[in-house]
Amino acid sequence: MRDDDELIRELREMGRALRVPPAADQREAVRARLARPVRPPRRVRALVLAAVAALIATVTFVAPARAVVVEVVGDLLRIAGITVRAEPYPGVVPTSPSPLPGARATTLAEARRVAGFPLAVPEELGEPAEVVLADPAPDGSPRVVTMLYRGGEVRFDQFDGELDGGFLKAAPDAEWVNLGSAVPLAVWLPQPHPLTYIGRDGVRRSETTRLAGPSLIWSSARGATYRLEGLRTLEEAMRVARSVQ
Amino acid sequence: MGVVKGAAIDFDEADAVARARGGDLDAYELLVAHFTAPAHRAAALLGAGADADDVVQEAFVKAYRRLAQYRGDSFRAWLLAIVANEARNLIRSRRRRTGLLARAAVRADPLPLEPDPADTAAASERRRFLVAQLRALDSRDREVLVCRYLLELSEAETATTLGLPRGTVKSRTARALTRLRDRMPMREAPGA
Repeated sequence: MRDDDELIRELREMGRALRVPPAADQREAVRARLARPVRPPRRVRALVLAAVAALIATVTFVAPARAVVVEVVGDLLRIAGITVRAEPYPGVVPTSPSPLPGARATTLAEARRVAGFPLAVPEELGEPAEVVLADPAPDGSPRVVTMLYRGGEVRFDQFDGELDGGFLKAAPDAEWVNLGSAVPLAVWLPQPHPLTYIGRDGVRRSETTRLAGPSLIWSSARGATYRLEGLRTLEEAMRVARSVQ
Repeated sequence: MGVVKGAAIDFDEADAVARARGGDLDAYELLVAHFTAPAHRAAALLGAGADADDVVQEAFVKAYRRLAQYRGDSFRAWLLAIVANEARNLIRSRRRRTGLLARAAVRADPLPLEPDPADTAAASERRRFLVAQLRALDSRDREVLVCRYLLELSEAETATTLGLPRGTVKSRTARALTRLRDRMPMREAPGA
């Protein structure tokens, strides 16, 4: 113990004797950076309402309202795990897109068991024709659960919105939708638009890029993200979305 | 010393934090002015070296955005936790950049500092050796010793800074001291 005391004394003395170059005055630089628009945290939680105006030029919005899991950055709009980028339709999309990584068909019961988040089901659509799990974690829990209806024409994707950008959509137009007080925010993309999956690793899976039909995307209050694709009209999509249990 | 800026005279930490939380950038500037030096010293000693200023700036920007999470015990320790984390990120990315070959060299330089030239030759020699042995320690051992004795933080502050339970700080400090002592020569005839 005495030896320790001696060593501690020596360390303290050394600490006092060590020369550290003088610190730069950070006041101006920090203030300048803080005065600039906030770069949102990587996890999608913050709401950046001020930037919404910047987006109106390219994307049509109706009443941004109170969102908890939305952020708008430059020409990007993020709703929990979905990023909408306002850009013109590129015209060329691969004709035979790959399925999501690690996709496998299963039953609704098994999906409920293995998913790391409570599974939602749109009652309005009845029993899903097919249930697909994709991009599993090492423990086997899927990142995305997809339910297909009406012979695959209607597709309902859901995933834990706490994850960083699961899908990237490029859309020339989008519209805020009010789905009722239980849903913080929804966006309707009426036109076909390219949709790309971004893996757990944050890497864009360009091979998954496909042309998605009209879609309604929204997030639940607890942060899960839903994507409903293939219904022709907003009214029908909203009816289905409201039936999600 | 010349004129002391008003900011330094009536500095009320709790008040500045409260106002900064409300978005008052002037109040936050007081905190920045007050804590730049300790943050910089911590960054340098925790291995940021010449990039300590960058680490400090990054830490202040992040701290402002996370002010809501500050629980109000020690702003310094809370800030230093962010500094320590930024320093670690920096070291990690530096290592990635420099690649495998240079890795050993980078590893060997976590304390890129020289003892004070005003030291006597013998003391300076011993200190140089101590710095070298401290550098050679495992980074977890080194961090607790740097916090506890070079930065002279309390056990509680060290726990906050390194994000460790207090008991771990205690045991790791004891272990690190033993390991460091084992590396040091016997001190029979200091400077005789």
